[in-house]
Amino acid sequence: MSGRLLVQTLRWYRVRLLVVTLAAIAWGVIIPIIFDAFSDAVRDLANSGAFPEEMLNIGSGSLFTLPGSITLGLQHPLALAMLGIFAIGASATAIAGERARGTLEVLLARPISRNAVYVSILVALLISVVIVLVALLGGMIGASAAIGLVDELDLAQLPLVLLNGFLLWAGFATFGLATSVTFDRPGPAIGISVGWLLLHYFLEILGSLWTDAAWTQEYSLLHHFNPGEILTGKLDPIDLVVTAAAFVIPLVYALVVFPRRDLAAPA
Amino acid sequence: MEGTPPTAVINTRALTKHYGSVPALTDLTLDVAQGEIFGFLGPNGAGKSTMIRTLLGFLHATSGSATVLGRDVATESVEIRRLTGYLPGGIALYDSLNGEQVLDYLADMQGRTPHRRQQLCDRLELPTSVLKRKVRDYSRGMRQKIGVVQALQHDPELAILDEPTEGLDPLMQQAFYAILDDLRREGRTVFFSSHVLSEVERLCDRVGIIRAGRLMAIHDVGELLARRRRRVTLRWRGAAPDPSTLPGLEDVQVDGNRLIGTLSGEVAGFIRSIASPNLDDLTIEPASLEEAFLEYYASDEGSDEPQRDGR
Repeated sequence: MSGRLLVQTLRWYRVRLLVVTLAAIAWGVIIPIIFDAFSDAVRDLANSGAFPEEMLNIGSGSLFTLPGSITLGLQHPLALAMLGIFAIGASATAIAGERARGTLEVLLARPISRNAVYVSILVALLISVVIVLVALLGGMIGASAAIGLVDELDLAQLPLVLLNGFLLWAGFATFGLATSVTFDRPGPAIGISVGWLLLHYFLEILGSLWTDAAWTQEYSLLHHFNPGEILTGKLDPIDLVVTAAAFVIPLVYALVVFPRRDLAAPA
Repeated sequence: MEGTPPTAVINTRALTKHYGSVPALTDLTLDVAQGEIFGFLGPNGAGKSTMIRTLLGFLHATSGSATVLGRDVATESVEIRRLTGYLPGGIALYDSLNGEQVLDYLADMQGRTPHRRQQLCDRLELPTSVLKRKVRDYSRGMRQKIGVVQALQHDPELAILDEPTEGLDPLMQQAFYAILDDLRREGRTVFFSSHVLSEVERLCDRVGIIRAGRLMAIHDVGELLARRRRRVTLRWRGAAPDPSTLPGLEDVQVDGNRLIGTLSGEVAGFIRSIASPNLDDLTIEPASLEEAFLEYYASDEGSDEPQRDGR
């Protein structure tokens, strides 16, 4: 790994990272407040039968408990977008973008192996993902504490939430980087990486809304990160295994493929 | 490697690169000696950049072998790049940084002190005020200057330059030539590709001519120029002599007392043969590499056999 490349990559991300972190804190703060303000009303609505209960349990989350709301908040498209800015957008463009611009050639003219370039960029992405994830969770727990609901959460499980969330989004980041080392242009890399995330979101939502298709959730990586359940002491170790596999497989692919690729002169 | 001269900085043996079924380089065998400026000449698409990218590890050879500074390009490309300065053709830089930040970043990544930077910036007229501007505001020529500086600032043992004067104005081209002259004097080796024949003629000790991925010839530039045919015009007082008595003169046209033809081979013997009080005027047009090159390509069409002279 190159420390200089890592630092430079983080410098390039810094403004984006600051904006997204602030947005993540704000979103995190809103979730417990919404739960506190509307959970009773939502429960009444559910009991009235006006809405099918599935409609109020979107994804693996739930509007009826604070842990469920936290899961819902982290599976919400806004949270996915915030984390996806780095795990999908930045990762898919990291190498393919430099390749298309021609700057990868200048970088690789230095005494640095391609795998060192890959690892340096990956570490910068993972740092960014962790910061956004911590901002989201920090906002949620801080707001829960501020409104006196933190007792509903088993904070001793927080490291496991972070680990599981990290593995999930690191998996999307290694997938994005795997596409980035495969293509010469960022367009296909972004398209495939966004499609990968949308596929998992679709499987998760489809399974939660349609009981006959509940099995599809098992195939969604998003389903294997349920912070609400972890914060109530119900971590399924399979979730860690699945998300770890999703992290490692694209990583190994990239480490094998990238050094062996021919990098012809950029068009 | 067997058959490699001890001072060969670049050495390739039957280096071949195919993109699928498309040959980009075929059986390219070449030695570049330490301290020489070697020009790699050929039209666009001939394989010049493919050769350079293979030497630096961007491309993987299909077959054959190559070493740079004694290191194998297949297994030691990182070390090769530590000792080498590379200017890519049509260089792209980081638009969000200023010139100085780009040079600092690339010097840090190189891991060697950029102790030539100030001198290069002075010679290429890159004052601090320019270096403090964002690269996105630079003209093409300014980017090329930064490209030259980043390639040479750490005083590399070998400079590999792909179309180095592209975008430089004539004054800056002269400054660049002077920089290469200095490198030559200091014993540095320069390998550069170009399709600008005049700069190859001006700078290079030897030139390799590549066409359709095949190395067609390697020549000493001096010898190539000496061997090429020159256009000669002679004017006599009185009748012109019988052209068959003038050695080396071909395609002769006699126009009264004027005699026009092409001279191949040694000039001195020809001059001796025409020495006469009746010779009124003599014009020998200077041999240019451009003509030699065009002549070479025209006459050698269809032949794939490489020709070699020089080292």
